[in-house]
Amino acid sequence: MSVETAAQTPVHPAGADNRIVVDGATLTWRDLPELTLPEPVAALAHSARYALAAARHHAVHGTELLLSTASRVDAAMRTELRAAGFAVTELGAPTAGDPTAPAARAAESGRLWLLTSGSTGRPKRVGHTLESLTTVRGQQPARTWLCPYAPGTYAWWQVVTLSLTQPGQHLVVVEPDQLDDWPALAAEHGVDAASGTPTFWRRALHRDPAGLARVPLRQLTLGGEPVDQTILDRLREVFPAARISWIYASSEVGAAIVVHDGRAGFPVDWLDRAAPGRPTIGVRDGELVITSPYHGAGLDGPVRTGDRAQVSGDRVLITGRLDADEINVGGSKVSAGVVRDVLTAHPRVAWARVTGRRAPLLGHMVVAEVVPTGTASSPDEATPDEATLVRWCADQLPEYAVPRRIRVLTEIPVKETLKSDV
Amino acid sequence: MKELSRAQIRDLMGEVLKNQGKALPADDAADLREVGFRSLDFSELALRVEDATGEELNFDAPGLRRIATVGDVLDFLVELQRQ
Repeated sequence: MSVETAAQTPVHPAGADNRIVVDGATLTWRDLPELTLPEPVAALAHSARYALAAARHHAVHGTELLLSTASRVDAAMRTELRAAGFAVTELGAPTAGDPTAPAARAAESGRLWLLTSGSTGRPKRVGHTLESLTTVRGQQPARTWLCPYAPGTYAWWQVVTLSLTQPGQHLVVVEPDQLDDWPALAAEHGVDAASGTPTFWRRALHRDPAGLARVPLRQLTLGGEPVDQTILDRLREVFPAARISWIYASSEVGAAIVVHDGRAGFPVDWLDRAAPGRPTIGVRDGELVITSPYHGAGLDGPVRTGDRAQVSGDRVLITGRLDADEINVGGSKVSAGVVRDVLTAHPRVAWARVTGRRAPLLGHMVVAEVVPTGTASSPDEATPDEATLVRWCADQLPEYAVPRRIRVLTEIPVKETLKSDV
Repeated sequence: MKELSRAQIRDLMGEVLKNQGKALPADDAADLREVGFRSLDFSELALRVEDATGEELNFDAPGLRRIATVGDVLDFLVELQRQ
């Protein structure tokens, strides 16, 4: 018997020659640092360049990999990962850290692990593969994508797998310290497609709308948080000819809903519609339930998403997390998302957060924080005051849902996940 | 702990009512139902007191009592700050 030995030349993914702008340098996937990784490995990246290098390493070698940023993984999580058999290693750390302890089990080739955002407690591991994370297929127009997401998150993998697997899909990576001024970086490198949370887009509109308008965007994508009509309309004003899409995706169910018609929510006739290879979307007891072909390992069948969904006319609106969205005011139930949408629809409000606050007699009251429109450097003179906003809400909401305390902030808060509320 | 005077709480109560398009009468004996000061307004006033003092009020501490007039509201909140 003769065995033909395959050449040990690594097979690079189809997008290996795509352009990548990272940390001030323009290179390709091939030019990223060559890593030597044990497996299974939990790789904690200290820079975007090393995170991309780990992704490419996985695409070439199939190394079992959990990729995250060093800042997202605390000591308890490191211990948990070691207990789950991973070698935990730092990538691109400025100083040498602890030596990497060897992996404590055999690797599962081709497996990729994501850590959930942890919005409902400790981050959980969700198993995927490059295949299950690659949701954009078929011939795509050539694009230069902005990648503002934290390495290893579901949204980050979406942009990264697109560039790894499709020729002509280039990447411009935004490092955390560039987040405030990304439009300048994007305009310089000809970014024409960008994906971000509504908070990400609101911040860009708030800080420097003229700077944002200079980015030659043809595709804008929103996801990761509830997407309201106001943010879609404001982006449409700045980019009248671009395609503006919103996407519902999570580590658990993958990319399940994609809407391109410029409207908040999705058509009600998409509910409970089964088609081969497509997710099935339902609403059960006010909760979004999804059966998706792009689900994480062990999550086949209907997955309760924990997100609140409600039918409004011919659309189904996703208003927020069930456990955080509902505020009980003296027995009357208020959706924080609905109140937030009323506030952000005010022409002088750039951003709003609505929460319940402990109060006498009623248990909780609705309170809010807002950021008025106008850039941070030149705030508008006529900032709406609390009484104006209370009246605005009172005209559109039941009395118990009107936020009575509204704090005005100057900057839109944002977390590493690009979300406001996590 | 910073504590608000009865007069300061009265000013805050006036603001709460003003935001609702209502006026606070000068008479402490005025009936809350006639003034239109309801549980939502009371709760808002309590939050305003908390925000002004930076201290959370402990509503579990005092026993139940009848709050029927403007003066009752002011007395109650003055007392609550000391709990």
